[in-house]
Amino acid sequence: MRGATVRAVNPEAEGTVYPDVDFVVEPGRVAAFRAVFGQADGVPPTFLTAAEFAAFPPIIGDPALDLDFTKVLHGGQEYELIRPLREGETLTVRPRIESVRVRAGTGFLVIAMDLFDAGGEPVARTRSTMIERSET
Amino acid sequence: MTRRLDDVAVGQELPDLRRVVTRDDVKAYADAGGDQNPLHQSDGFARGVGFEGVIAHGMFTMGHMAACVVAWAGDAAAVSAISAQFRATVSMGQEIVAGGRVRAIDAETRTATVELWVTSERDGETEWPIKRGEATVHLT
Repeated sequence: MRGATVRAVNPEAEGTVYPDVDFVVEPGRVAAFRAVFGQADGVPPTFLTAAEFAAFPPIIGDPALDLDFTKVLHGGQEYELIRPLREGETLTVRPRIESVRVRAGTGFLVIAMDLFDAGGEPVARTRSTMIERSET
Repeated sequence: MTRRLDDVAVGQELPDLRRVVTRDDVKAYADAGGDQNPLHQSDGFARGVGFEGVIAHGMFTMGHMAACVVAWAGDAAAVSAISAQFRATVSMGQEIVAGGRVRAIDAETRTATVELWVTSERDGETEWPIKRGEATVHLT
């Protein structure tokens, strides 16, 4: 149990590595994503968000992290593509908590993910900054 | 066709990309991207957490910013990195404008670093849903 007055995401969760998650770059889903942004072809670079959301449930539900997802705002996002994603391929997503800081009851959480292809080669990296607003 | 190194100069501006954000767009984005947070679909939920109504996903705004740089690059696969910091929220019916400018060119690696942003006018004031965005673009 932590402080009785203000609860926030747990800084001790920094460094936690979560189990690998498979993510299929489904052509139908890529097409739907393209359609939202009026793109004719290719895999939009921010489609990596779909891989992140596939890997979020164990993080959001982790009692040791104690994140209140209903209070989370997206603060920032970084994507790096070592090579373009290929439609139809299956990627392995390896999520980890890169950093957790709490200031005045507001939590700042960076979730980083490394993505690998079927041959184990790195394909992409993601960094997502989440801001957990404090209870007032 | 991917943009050519010879056709790029530091300071060059990317054409603005505008759109009015609708509820249908945001729902389509939620389904494609996988973020079904009710903050982006239920006015009641959004009001309960202090907003006037549904707001767009930060990733919706960033996806629009990415579309701006992909259009300029000529190929989605030419964009090898993209980042954004989210500032102002975007409401339904609001118009957002993505823009950018070439900050640096590396002729050896044939890449351009592009500054990106997304602005919106509200009540006569300019807001910045994305103030500091950046992308790396490979050139032929």
